[in-house]
Amino acid sequence: MEENGAPGRSAATGQRLSGPDLQQQLIALLPRLRRFARALARDAHDADDLVQLALERALARADQVRPDAELGGWVFGILRNAWIDEMRSRARRARLFVPAELAEHMGGGGSQPAHAELLAVEEALARLPEEQRSAVALVLIEGLSYKEAAHVMQVPVGTLTSRLARGREALQEMLGDS
Amino acid sequence: MTFDDETLMAYADGELEATTRAAVEAAMAVDPALAQRVAQHRALRSRLCSAFDPVLSEPIPERLLAAARGAAAPAHPARVIPLRRTPAARWSWPQLGALAASLLLGALLGAWLLRTPTPLGTRDGTLLAAGALARALSEQLAGTQPADAPVQIGVSFRSHSGEYCRTFVLREKQTFAGLACHERDEWRLLALAAGEGQRETAGYRPATSALPAAVASTLDALIAGEPLDAGAEASARQHHWNP
Repeated sequence: MEENGAPGRSAATGQRLSGPDLQQQLIALLPRLRRFARALARDAHDADDLVQLALERALARADQVRPDAELGGWVFGILRNAWIDEMRSRARRARLFVPAELAEHMGGGGSQPAHAELLAVEEALARLPEEQRSAVALVLIEGLSYKEAAHVMQVPVGTLTSRLARGREALQEMLGDS
Repeated sequence: MTFDDETLMAYADGELEATTRAAVEAAMAVDPALAQRVAQHRALRSRLCSAFDPVLSEPIPERLLAAARGAAAPAHPARVIPLRRTPAARWSWPQLGALAASLLLGALLGAWLLRTPTPLGTRDGTLLAAGALARALSEQLAGTQPADAPVQIGVSFRSHSGEYCRTFVLREKQTFAGLACHERDEWRLLALAAGEGQRETAGYRPATSALPAAVASTLDALIAGEPLDAGAEASARQHHWNP
């Protein structure tokens, strides 16, 4: 991983994505990034904020991406790390203000239909520990292989597998088998 | 032959290599319980997908397209920024950031400061809490403060330099959120943000995630460790917030 490399530069080596290429690929990834973020963050507005943050970070680190690497996995990893940062930061400020009644007022973007099935699944997913939720979202929702998901989460495949198994079991319990 | 649930899961996910896959299939053929378990794993996947796939066909918000093109104002790339930086029209926060004394005279604070008794004072270019604000910072505990108190204390914590600091929201004609640290028997203000006029819904307070960015980032920069719990907060008060 290089340092001090400006995004899109040193095209002479043919090693890096040009700025516009990267932007095009990010735009193509947007629907999946939004879906992944929604699985993590639940609230539609929060999820889009998270996508925006991930895009900004990805572009700021454009010098780290290589055309032969899987761009999606890289950005998923950035997005998930941004979410973990946000969770920590929120936990620290949890007592800052009393959010109870207000959270409802501000929640959602108002754009989704109140789909009971979606709500039930989101609710169950939100109750999983972050590690299990990420594993479930990457493998079951985003369709990544175990190996790809483990790479995104920076853990060995065995760890990913056991998180996925535990997350799955908890979801089946909450949602009822079928 | 029996298989543990992780193997069945991996089978359902298409992750097994050929030999094991064949063994699982052979076992499933004679053991309906195994087959049913695999079916449950598959059902969960399809249930999750049908819940979240509709997101794929939602229109992409313009701000995300702009961000992907690098057009959005970049946030500080390396730091946590609070989500919901723009909490819609309900709560907008002109950011004053780390306060310079000169800002005191700004039009925004002007009207408020003219009120007497004013809860702010200055000395040697430092902005200090005074009056009701200073009293609340010294006396109120987050867990026991009345919900209708004009000053609401948020989180209390130790800064990297060891001082006690507290966040607060002050609701008067205008609403302010800020962060003050205790030093030599005074509360020094390190961040202050003003809310738009008062939109008084009963009990309306900013949510955690709507914390003004100036205050949130000051908090993130100052805090050493975790916030004080109720016991540590009460004990700090007992020691008059002296480290």
